[in-house]
Amino acid sequence: MESRLGFTCLWGWAFLLLFLSAPVVAEKVKLDPSNWGHSGGDECVSCHKKASAGVVTEWQQSAHAEAGVNCMDCHQAKSEEIDAFEHEGQIIATIVSPTDCGRCHDREFSEHKGSVHSEAVALGNADRSVLGDNLAGPALTTSGCDQCHGSVVKVKGDGTLDPATWPNSGIGRINPDGSKGSCSACHGRHRFSKAQARQPIACARCHASPKSPDQAVFDSSKHGMAYQAHIGDMNLDSDSWSAGKDYSAAPTCVTCHMGAAGKVAATHDVGMRSAWGLYGPVSERQHLVMFEDGDKREWPVSADAPKRGAEMQKLDGNPGTVKFVATPDRRRQVMSAVCRECHSKSFANGFMDQFDQLVELFNTKFGAPSQAIMQSLYQQGLLTPAPFDEPIEFIYWDLWHEHGAAARHGAAMASPDHSAFAGMYAVARSFYGEFLPQVRAVAGVGAVDLIQQHVLSQPAHNWLGQPDQASAVLGSLPDATGERRDE
Amino acid sequence: MSKASWLSQYITRHVLFALIIGSCGGILFILFLIEFDQYTGTEAFCTSCHSMSFAAEDYRQSAHFNSVSGVRASCGDCHVSEGIFAATLDHVMGVSDLWKQIFGPDYDDPVITALHLPEAAFAAREWFLRKDSATCRRCHEQEAIHGSRLHTNAIHVEDAKNKSCIECHYNLVHRKVPDQKTFKRDAWNRMIEEEFGLEAGAAERLMGGE
Repeated sequence: MESRLGFTCLWGWAFLLLFLSAPVVAEKVKLDPSNWGHSGGDECVSCHKKASAGVVTEWQQSAHAEAGVNCMDCHQAKSEEIDAFEHEGQIIATIVSPTDCGRCHDREFSEHKGSVHSEAVALGNADRSVLGDNLAGPALTTSGCDQCHGSVVKVKGDGTLDPATWPNSGIGRINPDGSKGSCSACHGRHRFSKAQARQPIACARCHASPKSPDQAVFDSSKHGMAYQAHIGDMNLDSDSWSAGKDYSAAPTCVTCHMGAAGKVAATHDVGMRSAWGLYGPVSERQHLVMFEDGDKREWPVSADAPKRGAEMQKLDGNPGTVKFVATPDRRRQVMSAVCRECHSKSFANGFMDQFDQLVELFNTKFGAPSQAIMQSLYQQGLLTPAPFDEPIEFIYWDLWHEHGAAARHGAAMASPDHSAFAGMYAVARSFYGEFLPQVRAVAGVGAVDLIQQHVLSQPAHNWLGQPDQASAVLGSLPDATGERRDE
Repeated sequence: MSKASWLSQYITRHVLFALIIGSCGGILFILFLIEFDQYTGTEAFCTSCHSMSFAAEDYRQSAHFNSVSGVRASCGDCHVSEGIFAATLDHVMGVSDLWKQIFGPDYDDPVITALHLPEAAFAAREWFLRKDSATCRRCHEQEAIHGSRLHTNAIHVEDAKNKSCIECHYNLVHRKVPDQKTFKRDAWNRMIEEEFGLEAGAAERLMGGE
């Protein structure tokens, strides 16, 4: 055990070094310029300037145009590629996949490859089949789920793209060439503006739902306030964009989750610095498992940490060999290093402590008890195994997924309103006001023991046993002369 | 010898009759060819083979069948050259299609037609290109194409200046088939199998059993 921990530790440091030793300035393209400037590009521009002027105008304002990278450089394809088609004498493809972008942007490509973002299709499959297919239908999975998670793009036998899977710019899109992802998920085509990708709205296209209420959370945080107030000082177009050095007015999503700061290098593996998994019914600190082939996956600390060289299933279902494991503490260290560009160590640590405390509160007081009760109801056969065919399942889902996510994200990004009213208050309302009554309805007399075991045994719920503690919070002091009747 | 007697020596009554009958016959033959070329270019004639009705289904959905102005191009207007000799030649060459219809694969089966469609499309495109899209140009004047969008005319006058219509405008009327350079037989077969609910490999079996 000790040697394994030592090993994990060693590799954890290696992981940290990986962050700290890389350059702080955005990676420059190393490929020789002779690799672009396709001779067919002018013809594309001449016609598309007339046929779809918007696309051309956007491209003309891009760094690509400035560097002489034209339509053909990105859209050219080989005849044998499954989605290749003939267009005005050229063989091209509509979809420019990460592999195509990676020809020049190889570092960004390899960082994104194997990241949790790039596995968004596999990660969304369970939700997709229930929330998409069961609760709604295929039309929703196409226009909803898949637009963020990514579709599995289907090329029909006549070379056209199946409209059930395209257009799509989901971050984990599985492309006809087998690559995963869509650079245009964040980098809007065809301008591919640095400034646009660095703004919170680049993330908010998908991170705005109850599952991931990041946009609203950021907007109502001190960071969001500073960003809105000083957006003109953000130096968003700068080549080098290191927090504290190139800008200091405010952080954006990019700053903390992937941006350069001090000795911390920028990365296109956006989930790398997140120590907590905030999405589940109960949050866990998570290891980041790195595989030999560059793929990664999250691994909860409650499970045994995998050893280096061990075989382990990757997110895409294939087996992989573990290269190293980054502990949540290491991940937190990197995130905190970003904070330190503007905040003192004690400030950053204090903030992280407040965040951790709220997550633990949610976990122990509401997340774990409701999860245990639900498991018990399923085990006793009081609920059918199918999700969402009983009212309590919606209540339970909203409790951790919607309200719980708001609370935890509020704490993670310093939005008091989300921690409180959109978060923990809504969790409590859902728990005490809807969930427990439903448990009683479903389990009948059996509910008494269940609730006693998982809820009332916790001191945090002691207030329920003090019915005489009146307060004016409801608007006025109740006339507490009547006799309380026990159940 | 007078001129008249010289003529009368050769143009006997019998020769005169033969000339008149021959001329009338020739005129009638030309008229017949005109009528023949015209009739054999109509949709009614073409779709008298069941296999051609599949091609007609897509055609009837196209702008060449349903135009706002009511101008309608029928099969022969696009697929048969202008001029009696060229038109007749096209029909003579077309006999090979008739031969295949009778002695070749069962094109009346929609699956068979769909499987063989790409090669037919490639041949048709090659024909259009060889003719420099002459049948398109019977109705369409490249410089006069204005379209409904702002720069359609500029594209046709500037960017498509030395191009033949078919180079850009394929997959205009009939079922979409990729260009020959990017066509993938395997993918096409799987699509047709899926479309007609056939088991995998059925396409190869059907095509092999010609």
